[in-house]
Amino acid sequence: MNKLQGKDFINIGIFTAIYFIVIFAVASIGFIPIFIPLISVIVPLVGGIPMMLFFSKIRKFGMITVSGLLLGIIMLITGMGYWCILTGIVFGLLSDLALKACGYKNYKREILTHGLFSMWVIGAFIPIVVTRADYYQNLLPGYGEEYADTLMSYMPDWILPVLLAASFISGIAGGIIGYRIFKKHFERAGIA
Amino acid sequence: MAKELLASCRDGSSIILDPRTKLAVLITISIFILGGSYEGIMQYYIIILAFIPLILLLSSGKRKASVIYIVIFGGSLCLELFILSMLPSPVNYIAVTITGILLRFAPGIVMGYLLVTDTTVSEFMDAMDKLHMPRFITMPMSVMFRFFPTVAEEWSCIGDAMKMRGIGLGYRRAGHILEYRLVPMMICSVRIGEELSAAALTRGLGGPIKRTNVCDIGFHIQDIFILFVCAGAYVAQIYVLITRG
Repeated sequence: MNKLQGKDFINIGIFTAIYFIVIFAVASIGFIPIFIPLISVIVPLVGGIPMMLFFSKIRKFGMITVSGLLLGIIMLITGMGYWCILTGIVFGLLSDLALKACGYKNYKREILTHGLFSMWVIGAFIPIVVTRADYYQNLLPGYGEEYADTLMSYMPDWILPVLLAASFISGIAGGIIGYRIFKKHFERAGIA
Repeated sequence: MAKELLASCRDGSSIILDPRTKLAVLITISIFILGGSYEGIMQYYIIILAFIPLILLLSSGKRKASVIYIVIFGGSLCLELFILSMLPSPVNYIAVTITGILLRFAPGIVMGYLLVTDTTVSEFMDAMDKLHMPRFITMPMSVMFRFFPTVAEEWSCIGDAMKMRGIGLGYRRAGHILEYRLVPMMICSVRIGEELSAAALTRGLGGPIKRTNVCDIGFHIQDIFILFVCAGAYVAQIYVLITRG
């Protein structure tokens, strides 16, 4: 078991920063309430590009878990609730296990792993459904009644598993996109 | 050059606080101003809490930011206390929403901004070590905060370059917009990252032994004073809860 070292930590920090900026840019469509469920599709789709490059650099166990934990912490700071820390760690750990099992060399497995990792997005939706009443009360002073009501009507209780499946499938699609871009640009540029 | 987060050296601020104190202030502000219920004496205590970021802003010489902060926070506070109840109902509804957002978010944002701009990397690492945060969280975290401005800067430069080529909003193929912006940004970022890790390794980051730190952080008189003010908020909140029954 080789432990993580300084270089790995720097890689984690860099790729988490890139990933966060990319997903934050695309997730800001959530200001229109009808698009909120769509975030679970768009974020994995676009996030595949930085993540596939990150996966190609990983040779050690634990890097995705730390990255998921960091993502959760930034999500907490930017006001998406603390559930993302939990989902980030859980799905990060699962992704780590999946990558370890294939010896970090198999690109098909990397695409599948990205599907697995993308399911962390569900953490942003858990508070809306599980603690619905509290969440509604918190929305009121900030966003107004109209936004809160519309959002609630788009988020019925059964939507969580649907979103989870959607994020997994679009995570795989994002992984394929990421892999193709990776093939087309990054290998040629010699940074893979 | 964009403003650095967690810079490597500080640029002359007179009140130097321990990063742990700043963290405590940030948590207190987000509990009581962002998520508080504003009952009883709490609605006066938050004004005292909101003074802490103001004092820090003034002491680090950010005059313009202080003025903006006073106008936003003071203005929305005055509106909420004196004027709102007199407005007619449709205007009132919009005004309540806007002042609510400004009043609740301004102090927290300013404090978070101060925490990341007015703390050096070494101070941050030292404080996190003293809080017994494990290295595998603090190291990527400080790299990440250092990296945000860099990525944002690259992003806007590449955006300009792509605009010159006519690739922007309204370009025919939406997929290209993303690809032509993301790919150069990531190539730049990875290169910068490789340089960063080379620089860090030269300074002995990869070594197996515990690293020492020149920063001498600790709680001084100003930290104790501010921590007392924060503790007062919790006491006041408990008092409010008890008297409510």
